[in-house]
Amino acid sequence: MDSKILWRVILILVVVALSVWSLYPPGEKIHYGLDLSGGIHLVLQVQTDDAIKAELDDSAQRLVSRAREQGLELSQGESNIENLSFKVNVPADADTTALRELAQNWVPGYGTDPGVGEWTFKLPPNMDRTVRDMAVRSSLETIWNRVDQFGVAEPVIQRQGMESDRILVQLPGVDDPARVKDLISSTAFLEFQEVVAGPAPDRQSLLTAIGGVTPSDSEIVTGDRRGLDGQVLGVDYYLLKKAAIISGQELRSARRSQDEYGQPVVNFATQPYAADKFGQYTGSHIGTRMAIVLDQKVISAPSIESRIPGDGRITGSFTIEEAEDLALKLRAGALPATITYLEERTVGPSLGRDSVVRGVRAAVSGLLIVMIFMLVYYRRSGLNANVALILNIMILLGAMAYFGATLTLPGIAGVILTIGMAVDANVLIFERIREELQVGKTVRAAIDTGFARAFGTILDANLTTMIAALFLFNFGTGPIKGFAVTLSIGILASVFTAVFVSRTLYMIALAGRERVESLSI
Amino acid sequence: MRIIGDTNIPFLSYRKIALSLSALAIVGGLAYQFLGPGLNLGIDFVGGTQVTLKFREQPDLGALRESISNLTVGTPLIQSFDEAEKHEILIRVENPEGAEGDFTRPILELLHQDFNSDLGNRFDLNTQGSLALLGRLVSADPDGMGGDAEARESFYGPMADAVLEYRKTNGIFGSLDDLENVEGLSETVRTYLENNTAVGAFSLLGAESVGPAVGADLQKKAMLAIGFSLVGMLVYIWIRFQLPYAVGAVVALFHDVLITLTAIAVTHREINLPTVAALLTLVGYSVNDTVVVFDRVRENLRLRRGEELESVMDLSINQTLSRTFITSGTTLVVVLSLFIFGGDVINTFAFVLLVGILVGTYSSIFVASPVALAMNRVLVSRRERRRLRGRR
Repeated sequence: MDSKILWRVILILVVVALSVWSLYPPGEKIHYGLDLSGGIHLVLQVQTDDAIKAELDDSAQRLVSRAREQGLELSQGESNIENLSFKVNVPADADTTALRELAQNWVPGYGTDPGVGEWTFKLPPNMDRTVRDMAVRSSLETIWNRVDQFGVAEPVIQRQGMESDRILVQLPGVDDPARVKDLISSTAFLEFQEVVAGPAPDRQSLLTAIGGVTPSDSEIVTGDRRGLDGQVLGVDYYLLKKAAIISGQELRSARRSQDEYGQPVVNFATQPYAADKFGQYTGSHIGTRMAIVLDQKVISAPSIESRIPGDGRITGSFTIEEAEDLALKLRAGALPATITYLEERTVGPSLGRDSVVRGVRAAVSGLLIVMIFMLVYYRRSGLNANVALILNIMILLGAMAYFGATLTLPGIAGVILTIGMAVDANVLIFERIREELQVGKTVRAAIDTGFARAFGTILDANLTTMIAALFLFNFGTGPIKGFAVTLSIGILASVFTAVFVSRTLYMIALAGRERVESLSI
Repeated sequence: MRIIGDTNIPFLSYRKIALSLSALAIVGGLAYQFLGPGLNLGIDFVGGTQVTLKFREQPDLGALRESISNLTVGTPLIQSFDEAEKHEILIRVENPEGAEGDFTRPILELLHQDFNSDLGNRFDLNTQGSLALLGRLVSADPDGMGGDAEARESFYGPMADAVLEYRKTNGIFGSLDDLENVEGLSETVRTYLENNTAVGAFSLLGAESVGPAVGADLQKKAMLAIGFSLVGMLVYIWIRFQLPYAVGAVVALFHDVLITLTAIAVTHREINLPTVAALLTLVGYSVNDTVVVFDRVRENLRLRRGEELESVMDLSINQTLSRTFITSGTTLVVVLSLFIFGGDVINTFAFVLLVGILVGTYSSIFVASPVALAMNRVLVSRRERRRLRGRR
């Protein structure tokens, strides 16, 4: 064998060996996309307006309470998210100099617009962007924590673009989508609040009990009334003090546990700095009810039986899963803003598996028919093309494994399409060789011109398909990107196998033969 | 072996008939799309929610419709998915105008209420996950493991996984008797499950919900992808060949895409992201076919100076005819096997390619070359006129 052929053979063997090496073992190396493995794909939008509202309300509250300490009787007015401002009602005889000083100290940077009886404070310029950005970032972190604790393998949780308020979440292999969705998107804002009145079976009887008017420092909150087995029996109405005793942020840990009757509960421990506050409150309010409120819903409102130092327990006719998830959410923290779904794609694992089986069946049957055809039509040259085709598929899969590309259902279609198109290059070459033989060229000359002439065509034809694949990749999402990737790699691999590998196979076949009379084509 | 020998068909002399036929098909198709029922855009582009469920036994479609009726805007689409004996149902509803949110949850909750009312508070093997099941087993502890929760979790974990594995493989638990086929369960756990769990009427195969923001986004992206790749083709062929050929190829592309869209509309298939991907692939394939012919034309023009372009084109088409048929044939075979075996999810994708390959093969012979020829004449005669004017 002359050295030229040897080098070609070595190069081919190296490429094939690399492909096999990166592909082995295939079950682990080929990453299935969500549409094949099953899983959830979510695009969430962080309602950053919530964070702005919270920022405005906090500032207003801070200003009002500090003013009160100095004997300045202000009251909180409305917050306006669109104007990024909050209002404070100011009595006519108020000391405006003192108020200006207070504002400078406690809501620094805010634009002040004094009016008659009412002052407007505007969020510092650019601060809304910072507040919104922080809301998205901390949402991202909280979702990470929750997913991490839930134990999903290889999750994708990322912001869609630098300035975006969208978060992409992809969780492969999840078998209980409803639970995971709830886990991700519920705000999990927990507060312990003092019960002023209630529970009552409806709003009217609650209002009657307190004399018809809701006091300004209280609010009406509802909660499900549950039977012993956890079934919802009705709705209870409570009147609660607005100011929380402690909130979820002040918890140090939370764990699912059981009470003495085997009912699932959540045990918690407060941060050291909150322990005193909580202990003091519970110590002085023995016998009264305290409501545990999650996301504006009363979970339960037990009576305080004794002083609770730093550790306590949340009861509430939970199922095991509910208790587990509540504990998890409390550990991971609350979301700073509500979250809405923009897009959801859930693929059950059985559907994904079905797709794989069908895709492989289609690929194998297509491959077999094409190979048989090539063999019948081009005989020994067809065998040459078939070797090239098999190598092509090996290189395609190997390259996908090497680059960590994801195989999706359209991606399988891409592989199948590659099979059809890969033989195209060989067909172009073989037809050309036949023509050259017909005009009376020798076998060697016909092969040489056949490959040379066909190469330009193959390049042009494949580059145009690459252009289409490129734009698909650029604008496509998820599964479609996977398709574009397989198609592109397939095209590159087919040029290598049809042109280089096939040529080498001819060289080997013709090597050492003085005169070649005929070619099986 | 040889299917097509040396042919000498005067393809270009049929150009008037061919172009008229194509124009008729395109105009008819556009008329059908715009005046008739139009293209059926899927939820990827118009937004909406689509839930695919597998039922234990064939559900009453009327009862299904009834169950979700007070939730939906417009008429929900409820149809069988895949083979009928699999009891797989696809439910598609419009989302409320302009609203974003989680729309799969209320659908599933309503169906659960109406179809699983007999379950009571028992654990549903067909909708709950392995972690939930593990939680049950750990606290019930049917095997009396005692000890701490972690030890029990590692003991019951594989059993919970095995139960879910059965559902993943089979799609649904037909009845509690199926627990007999789950491997790796201890007898006590099996008995516990048989007494304390239930099989709901359905399991979730898949759910998709696209809100208006993402829908508009995807629509824009699909348009851009198609637009850019058409321009990309035009520029590439312009550079590699000449303007008349680029125009010929792109006209052929529009021809293929429009006729394929008509085929989609006529068969009431849905246009979704994979459909667009298939259309783009078809664009690539169609140009591929055309370029092979043009390449040959370019080569022959060099070899046969002075000969009429029309006869050179005819010669080139004839020379590449055998290749065209074989490649179209092999590609058609694999796409056909995808169409037959690929299943419902990929069926429209395969359909688009199937139609596209047929139309693309036709157009690379009967559309691309005639248009290139005509364009060439227009450009040449303009050049002639300019030259004559210059002489005067």
